[in-house]
Amino acid sequence: MATSFRLAAPGVTTPVVALRALVVLLPCAALALALPEVPHWFVLVVVPVTAVMWARAPDHGVGIIPLVLVAGWWAAHGVVDWRVLVVAVLLLGAHVAATLLSYGPPTLAVDPHLVRVWVVRALLAVVPVPVAWLAVRGLDPRQAPAWLWLATAALTGVLLLVTTRLTRSESAR
Amino acid sequence: MTSWRPTPSLVRSCLLALGGVTGGVVLGQEVLVVLAAPFAVLAAMGLLSRPRTSPHVSASLDHVRLHEGQGTTSRLLVDDLTGVEHVSRATARATHVVTRPVHGAAGSLVEDGLPVVHSSPRRWGRRVVGAERVALTSPWAGWRWGPHDLPERGFNVLPQTAPYDTRAEVPQPDGLVGRHRSRRIGSGTEFEGIRPFATGDRLKRINWPVSLRTGDLHVVTTRAEQDASVWIVVDGLSDIGASGGIDGAASTLDLTVRAASALAEHHVRTGDRVGLLVVAADATRVPLGSGSRHLHRLQGTLARIRTETRSVAPDRLDLGAGAGSVVYVLSPMFFTPLVTATVSLQRSGGTVVVIDTIGDTMADTMADQPGDRLALPSLAARMQRIERDDRVRRLAELGTPVVPWRGPGTLDTVLRQLARRGRVPKVRA
Repeated sequence: MATSFRLAAPGVTTPVVALRALVVLLPCAALALALPEVPHWFVLVVVPVTAVMWARAPDHGVGIIPLVLVAGWWAAHGVVDWRVLVVAVLLLGAHVAATLLSYGPPTLAVDPHLVRVWVVRALLAVVPVPVAWLAVRGLDPRQAPAWLWLATAALTGVLLLVTTRLTRSESAR
Repeated sequence: MTSWRPTPSLVRSCLLALGGVTGGVVLGQEVLVVLAAPFAVLAAMGLLSRPRTSPHVSASLDHVRLHEGQGTTSRLLVDDLTGVEHVSRATARATHVVTRPVHGAAGSLVEDGLPVVHSSPRRWGRRVVGAERVALTSPWAGWRWGPHDLPERGFNVLPQTAPYDTRAEVPQPDGLVGRHRSRRIGSGTEFEGIRPFATGDRLKRINWPVSLRTGDLHVVTTRAEQDASVWIVVDGLSDIGASGGIDGAASTLDLTVRAASALAEHHVRTGDRVGLLVVAADATRVPLGSGSRHLHRLQGTLARIRTETRSVAPDRLDLGAGAGSVVYVLSPMFFTPLVTATVSLQRSGGTVVVIDTIGDTMADTMADQPGDRLALPSLAARMQRIERDDRVRRLAELGTPVVPWRGPGTLDTVLRQLARRGRVPKVRA
């Protein structure tokens, strides 16, 4: 477990390097699922670059960029086939890998027990994905009553406010 | 003041979840809802697991009195772990201190116990450990307390108790009781000889077999047993060579301090009274004493030795001791005034033994530049070595024995010679 990786900084263990590789590769793989369709060059360049930056600093805000770009590209193309399920899992995998890396400094060894805990949590988080996918594929939004959209928009706004209030630190209050 | 703050992971989850739902509702992009669904779960669980406590974190060391090479464990103390799932800590690197984990970063789930960091000082002297940052994380990595800085703690690391023993007698034991054989006859247990009975002899000392065989009463004579007063003079004026701690090369001061510690321990265990004089910028003198408490005092004084460039060797060594003491001068003998002071001490009647603690330091220094013998550092090192060797040779010519420190048995030969010299009848003018 404590074996040092030659290409990494002193003290960085092989599991940490593997997690960093996942942070880089999973968003790229989510984009590669679109082949043979090739995404726009901007997406092709920015996703790997920001993923590398995210892998270097898992706590940095740059981590949201590759996730948003990949999700936005798939949304913009309106693909609702099986690949969306895989993309959701890949993006979640990158997020969980970055979360595991953010528990301490780069020299902190990866705790296998913590990894097991997060694998279980990731599986739990994946549960609503097929439900939402089936709902998107099976339900026709044109048949929904108008108040449903208003209620959904209101609920989203409330969630936004609640989240903003909850995530404010005590010192900022 | 440290408080619970949302982690970047939680912020990312919240943004993706809300962005996905908003995009799905407002823009009609249903795929975003599917992609944001797992992040909505993570965001919700992270938000709900917010701790409400204000923990107080501190750290403690299992031991604060260590010899070099020994180890201790730093343990975290957290008064309230409610709502805490994971604890991580990262200790700062300290000179001549190794840690396990090697780079000082440790973390574990609370249910597995708080993470500990093992530290081991590798060199005697003042060492600092414990400067570290601690972070607490809530379940689902939603909230983080810290990183909180914990202050460092310093303590004196005592020199390694190098194995040392000698079977030679101290030349001039002068105390009342002890384990050294006195030059005088007395009521000890050490056999000295058998002689005819004289008036005043105790009846229990009559040797009946010899008396029966010779027809005259004979008694067994024994030697008294005394302790000795031993002074250890330590040269703390300079430290030549790089110290690699107990795992690496030893500098001259390393050898000096470890040898002094070994000698002090040996003599205190033997029952002798031991004093210490540190020749340094801030000279320290520990008067004669005995017992384990006194040994701790001696080792503590040795651990506090500092070398400074403004150090000046004294003209004379003021031990405040009588002529009967044995004085060990531990020095690489780089300073002429110290050599002069040693000779003065010898001439004042003391039994002085110089223990050369240069070791392989100079040889290593010269071996570092094998190709360039005319380079300035190499030349300077060789000139210093030649001058030092000349000083040591002249010291030996003046009658002061000089022995290199070799650990066990270093002083056997020279102490026996000094003991024999002490028994030779002297003619005083």
